[in-house]
Amino acid sequence: MSEKIYALLLRLFPSHFRKAYGDEALQLFRDRDRDENGFIPRFRLWFDLLADLAISVPREYFYADPQLLAASGQRLGCTPSFYFLGDESPRPGALFLGGMLSLVALFTFSSLLSQGGNHRPRNSSARQLRRGTVPSASAYKRPAPQAAGDTSSTSGGENETLAPTSGHPTMVSTPFTPAEGKPGKSSSDAILLYDPSHTGQSSSSGQRDTGSPMQPTPGDAATTVATAVGHGNLDAAERQRVVNAAIANLKQHYVYPDMAQKMAEALLVKEKRGEYDAITDGDIFAHQLTKQMRDVSHDMHLELVYSQDPLPPQPAGQTAEGLARYRDAMKQENCTFEKVEILPHNIGYLKLNFFPDRSVCEQTATAAMASLNNTDALIVDLRDNRGGMPDMVALMASYFFDHPEYFFNPRENTTTESWTHSPVPGNKLADKPVYVLTSSRTFSGAEQFCYDLKMLKRVTLVGETTGGGAHSGVWHRIDDHFGMGIPETKPINPYATPDWEGTGVEPDVRVKAADALAVAENLAQSKLQKK
Amino acid sequence: MPKRKLDPLPSAAFQILLSLAEEDLHGYGIMRQVAEQTDGRVRLGPGTLYSSIQSLLEERLIEELDPREDVELGQERRRYYRLTSSGRKLARSEAEKLAGFLRVARSRKILRGNYV
Repeated sequence: MSEKIYALLLRLFPSHFRKAYGDEALQLFRDRDRDENGFIPRFRLWFDLLADLAISVPREYFYADPQLLAASGQRLGCTPSFYFLGDESPRPGALFLGGMLSLVALFTFSSLLSQGGNHRPRNSSARQLRRGTVPSASAYKRPAPQAAGDTSSTSGGENETLAPTSGHPTMVSTPFTPAEGKPGKSSSDAILLYDPSHTGQSSSSGQRDTGSPMQPTPGDAATTVATAVGHGNLDAAERQRVVNAAIANLKQHYVYPDMAQKMAEALLVKEKRGEYDAITDGDIFAHQLTKQMRDVSHDMHLELVYSQDPLPPQPAGQTAEGLARYRDAMKQENCTFEKVEILPHNIGYLKLNFFPDRSVCEQTATAAMASLNNTDALIVDLRDNRGGMPDMVALMASYFFDHPEYFFNPRENTTTESWTHSPVPGNKLADKPVYVLTSSRTFSGAEQFCYDLKMLKRVTLVGETTGGGAHSGVWHRIDDHFGMGIPETKPINPYATPDWEGTGVEPDVRVKAADALAVAENLAQSKLQKK
Repeated sequence: MPKRKLDPLPSAAFQILLSLAEEDLHGYGIMRQVAEQTDGRVRLGPGTLYSSIQSLLEERLIEELDPREDVELGQERRRYYRLTSSGRKLARSEAEKLAGFLRVARSRKILRGNYV
């Protein structure tokens, strides 16, 4: 009986062991069983056997089957070969165990895969954020349109900036100010338009810039910031300088002095605690400071940026040469008035890809609108329009009214320039139906055009929700590698509906951008037929 | 999967080598000899015994002899094992190592006596 029990227990050993020593083990049991009589010896025998099983069975499974080792040793070179290592099929227990282990492994792997998909290392997410906030390295540089003194066409000469903020914190346009970081109130200040995808980059005197692609210029902050990602070798002195400058700029320029004070204190506390001491990467440092300013203020338009390439000490494109380049580019691009056509049923079609500087492109705009003056309805295609200058936005809107209308601009305080220039002499479009085509790429100044005309119930928006970039910060250069965008104004929105910051402007007729033109044409036709 | 290793030499393997120092033994003989030489403290179970024997065979520290009967234990044919010269060498070096430990233990006054 005892022998049978032990024979069963022996089956716990792996087959290679049983095959080699199963009989001997059983024989040894028999010998001991025979020799060790009496209760205590018998008890000791079973105690020994069970202890031995507990130790040796796992060890035998852990060690390799000598046959396997021998087989692996017989390989010749890299030639694949096959050997029969045993003539018995795996035991059901082994198959069950293997199956369970496979299921566990499969489950673990798939759950890790699904969880891991959402994980991004901190650094890479920071970089992704940076890519979302500033133009890529291929961002187009537009030379600044004008030199000092040409402020007449600006909206009060303010250094407002266009901020695309589609959920992400962004600083769209920033006026370049001299190194001491004085906010741009003078006509010599330039504005850079930071646009997440591309488009116009700089202008001066509060003008916003337009959009045809031109060569990248090293002096363009948009370009330099984009190339700066993930580099830098900061020392303590530089960190100290940047923090101090950021605090000074906040206190001096931020629209809410109380909040500026709170942010300054928060930054100082962090600095004293030594939270910045380990940061040597400029991009991470800038990101960290930005985050802390936003944590306190919840203002997503505050941003501190790092550029590996030195930032230009002077506003880019203020020179006469820059202005000439800008004019040439605009001329070449027909001021981004891509198409001016009369569609069937006398429907006018205007495709405008930017709202360029009025001082450079007003004639083009006037000519385009004049050629559409006798149409019965108008379709303005802004599906590829990435923004531009508010004065051009107002100028274009002027054609749709017979009296001046207030044109709200979330980036600027109200000035005399905040009104449309209606009525435009000779204009016949003031009472014609207007359809504006939008897409998710429609952005910034183009969104202002859509939003205000929608609020004024003057146009029908056809297409997709726009990109959602409304606010802005003014650019303050800190040193060769750091600068910051600070909102300096808080214009009052006259409409009950919040502006399009982060949300975009909802279309009246929601269709895919690709179908928008056809839909708008149909809408215009049926409207004209009803007349 | 790792191969069995005898470095460091496990206690069971060392006892088996010692047990075979004077005569060839079969498994049960080894077990009894080990129990005797350790004053009954070590009783090798079948698993430990044959697992160790297998390792020692693989390393050629012992060798297997042709099966034969043990007249004391009946008609069953048993596998006998013999210490090889390298097995003897290893047992000696292991014993010397332990003797070295003993000397240290005595010098530290952990063990009394001056033999070994």
